[in-house]
Parts: sequence; structure tokens; C-alpha cells
Amino acid sequence: MLVLRRRAGESVLIGDEIEVELLAISHQGAKIGIRAPKETVVLRKELKITQDQNTRAASGPSAQDLEQAIQKLRPNSRTDPPAR
Amino acid sequence: MPAVETKYFGSLSYAEDSVFHFPHGVPGFEQEKAFVLIESPEKAPLVFLQSMTRASLCFVAFPILVVDQSYQLAIAPEDLDELGLDTGRQPALGAEVMVLALISLHDQIPPSANLMAPVVLNLQSRRGLQAIRRDTRYSHQHTLAPEAAGEKTC
Repeated sequence: MLVLRRRAGESVLIGDEIEVELLAISHQGAKIGIRAPKETVVLRKELKITQDQNTRAASGPSAQDLEQAIQKLRPNSRTDPPAR
Repeated sequence: MPAVETKYFGSLSYAEDSVFHFPHGVPGFEQEKAFVLIESPEKAPLVFLQSMTRASLCFVAFPILVVDQSYQLAIAPEDLDELGLDTGRQPALGAEVMVLALISLHDQIPPSANLMAPVVLNLQSRRGLQAIRRDTRYSHQHTLAPEAAGEKTC
């Protein structure tokens, strides 16, 4: 990873069309501004991770396979009835 | 009672108060604005979030404390505001909100729970959203050990 030190008000250029400006720094974090072509998708990384994880979660077992899949979450032998 | 087409339970009657409105959907499914919470005794402690508009979309979830009994909420003020909750403090689990970890269940990989972005349901306003944590304390792929998940049903 390329690491650069920037002060508030300074920018970094990525290629010809993308500019990332460090707007302000506070104890809560750094505020950055991004100038990029409309078609460039800019996402907070955790949002992208959540989208991907939701897509994975949504493509879980079919109705027929549900019971078997749930078994993976349970101990193999259960002697006591589940507590209320 | 009205009924909804579900992925796992066929056509299912539901109570109005088990429907939660997600004004922004959830990431990846922004068009899905309403989910019905299905709690089936035989499947407990698992619960299901069934889309009201897409029968094929149903998330499998655990109440977050089933996955980690010492889980610490850290819902961002913007998300609390969106849910209509007090932004100055974390809400009370069980009383004000229900918090769910979405589960990934697949053949080849161990089951995992998303503790980084739990689904928060406001039990009073019936509004919901997926609250992505701003910190890195919990994983989006927390591996579920079979023994552990099954033992904590009480």
C-alpha cells in the first residue's frame, strides 16, 4: 500500500480523473472529499463488505435443505430438551 | 390475518406487529422495504427475516446474544436517529430493540454470523435497519462453532 502524509487542504490524484482531498482532521476522524467521474462507484468499504455479506447470506439453503443446514449449527446429540 | 409467501414456510399468516419497515432496505437489497420477523419454536433460537415483496428472499438470523453473550452494541447516532431512538445512548436489548446477526449457511464453508453489521429492529416503531459498526471490534464473518450456537438456547 502506498502511504502518503497529507495536511488538511492537500490532495492526492489517482490517475487523471480522481482527486482525493483531505478536508479536515478532528479527533473523530479525517474528513475526505472525492472528486471522480460520475460512473466511478465510490463506497465506504464496510458498506461494500455488508452488501457482499448480505448477498451471501441471502443465497443460503433452499427450503428443502434448511433443516440439514440448521443441523450444522446444533450439537450432534442433544439429550435435554431445550430450556425455556 | 394477512398472509405472505415465504421461502421456507410456504404461505404464512402473520401478525401486523411482526412486520418491520426498512426505509432504505438493507445493503445489496435496497428495494426491500419491509420484512416480516418469523420466530418458529422448532427452529429457535434461529429467527427469519422474510421479505414481504420477494418470497425468495429470507435471511436466517440469530439474536445477537445467542452468538456472543457479551456483545456490546455500538449503533451510530445517525442510525439511532433513523430508527427513532435516543441518540445519546445505546438502546436496551429486548426492551426497545431486537438485534439480529445475519447468518451465512453454505455447504462448503463453516456457518458464520455478521457481527459487524447487525440488523436492529425498533420494537416500538417497527422500523428496522442494518447498523454497520464504525469500529472494527467484531467480524462480518464470525465463525459459528456448532457446540456453542446450540448450547445457548436458554
